[in-house]
Amino acid sequence: MRPGFEPARVCVKKLVRNPFLCKNSVYLFQRSSVLNRADSMLYWLTWSILVLIIAVGLTAQGVVETLRGVLILQLHPARLITDYSVVAGPGAAMVNAALVAAIGLFLLRVNRIQMSGPALSVVYTMLGFGLFGKTPLTILPIILGVFVSARLAGKHFNQYILIALFGTALAPVVSAIAVELSLPGALSWPLAVAGGVTVGIFLPPAAMAMLRMHQGYSLYNVGMTSGFIGLFVASVMIAGGVELGSVLIWNTDPTLELRLFIPLLSVVLIAAGVIRGGKSSITDFREISRRTGRLPSDFMDMVSSEGALVNMGVLGLTSWLYVVVVGAPLNGPVLGGILTVVGFGAFGKHPRNCFPVVVGIFAATLLFGADPAAPGPILALLFGTTLAPIAGSFGAVIGCVAGFLHFVIVMRSGGWHAGLALYNNGFAGGLTATLVASVMEWHHQSERRSK
Amino acid sequence: MKQRNELLLHLIGEVGHFILDSDPSRMVINLHLEPEGFHLSILDDVERSDEEIEEINKSLHATQRPELAGYYGSMAGVDMLGNARLNLVGWQVKHGEIRKREGGTRIDLWLGDDQFDPSKFSIPG
Repeated sequence: MRPGFEPARVCVKKLVRNPFLCKNSVYLFQRSSVLNRADSMLYWLTWSILVLIIAVGLTAQGVVETLRGVLILQLHPARLITDYSVVAGPGAAMVNAALVAAIGLFLLRVNRIQMSGPALSVVYTMLGFGLFGKTPLTILPIILGVFVSARLAGKHFNQYILIALFGTALAPVVSAIAVELSLPGALSWPLAVAGGVTVGIFLPPAAMAMLRMHQGYSLYNVGMTSGFIGLFVASVMIAGGVELGSVLIWNTDPTLELRLFIPLLSVVLIAAGVIRGGKSSITDFREISRRTGRLPSDFMDMVSSEGALVNMGVLGLTSWLYVVVVGAPLNGPVLGGILTVVGFGAFGKHPRNCFPVVVGIFAATLLFGADPAAPGPILALLFGTTLAPIAGSFGAVIGCVAGFLHFVIVMRSGGWHAGLALYNNGFAGGLTATLVASVMEWHHQSERRSK
Repeated sequence: MKQRNELLLHLIGEVGHFILDSDPSRMVINLHLEPEGFHLSILDDVERSDEEIEEINKSLHATQRPELAGYYGSMAGVDMLGNARLNLVGWQVKHGEIRKREGGTRIDLWLGDDQFDPSKFSIPG
């Protein structure tokens, strides 16, 4: 022992000697990765929901028609807003969505990721966007790109897995290169895969930089990142003479399966939480409502899985009720919005921090004379809850102002990246959160100086 | 080396932010650096309740979350706007602990590789 020093008080036996990163990254270590009972239950519950969605999809449209529809979707342009329930039918859209989510869930399981708030939010987001823009074929090149990026940075893929799965928002880049550029047949898909891999490589560094810009006050950080990258991709395509006009394929008459999807799912989630947790699930739900929701707020880890499941279900039911009340169709994109809200019910959102943002967006909708049931406003309201941490951290008034600003930006931002990034609200929300966070930081600094 | 220094600065920043949030009149940052790892010890003169200590301990003893450490962990020590979040630190360290000391609190963090031997690391209390 060195003179003047005493032994550190640490129990070496508790530390599992597994490299946290690759061999050349020596400074980070991890404890043993053991999936506990709660993880198993949540994996089991999520797999069951996906299997049920596939079963309902196959029943609704017939096996042959559904499978044909799923194939059509893989080769269809997918820029915002392309409702798959119109392109290939509701059954095919549901099966496609479940397959997209299943890929995410499988990768999380293989990488031994704890089934908690972040994992659930990414699976539900993938499920939602599988109804309007993501397909198994178009998301894989993006995931491969992030895998390559992890290797280049000397990190394990499990450190970037959330970026990889959320980053599938750039799936329309793949389908646009493959289908919309009119390239020769033999070249189109190889170039599309190369394009997807390339944007995937850029995702992790950009995502970490974006995180520092809004400091965790927008929940869809990869949304902001993909919008940012999409901006460059769209600019390159347009500079090359490609016409990327706006797209609006919007189901105005959704079938019964789509209309009942959310209430049934919400009831299942609430029941799962209450059956497992009993009265404590309700107490925990109240405890979750006191959290700011700032990234990364894993409610399952911070409070409990049961409380988070109840929170997810309550958010699902309230979102669904709002859509029904304003008379918007429960089609693919709207369900995608609600499913994303449900997923983030385990990772940052609760009714209390969402409400002020929703009020701000609704007020802007009315003030600018827009129809609350129209595609832009309804999606802005559902996805705009990405700004919930602003209301949770700075109060209802600032949350409401943020919601108002978000609406103004999001109605323009889709055109900037030509719909190549599916999380357009994440892009606009990130910009809004950056503005609000910087103003609040300046305000706090001024306050400190004046004291 | 650069990666290690960057990580250290982020961890010190976040823990320092946490300590300063409780308005101490004294904060001591002590670092013992070895090629295989390091021991960071931060002391202050704030007396905390058992509940607060338990809460901090929970944050520092976060379970293995590589998906959060590698991505959201990059937020550690980069802003002063919100409250400090020790779980960002807890996900990244090999072992962390907090204990009461006379007139204040002490937070210890250990990080290191396979050759890391914590018994060689020894910052006096």
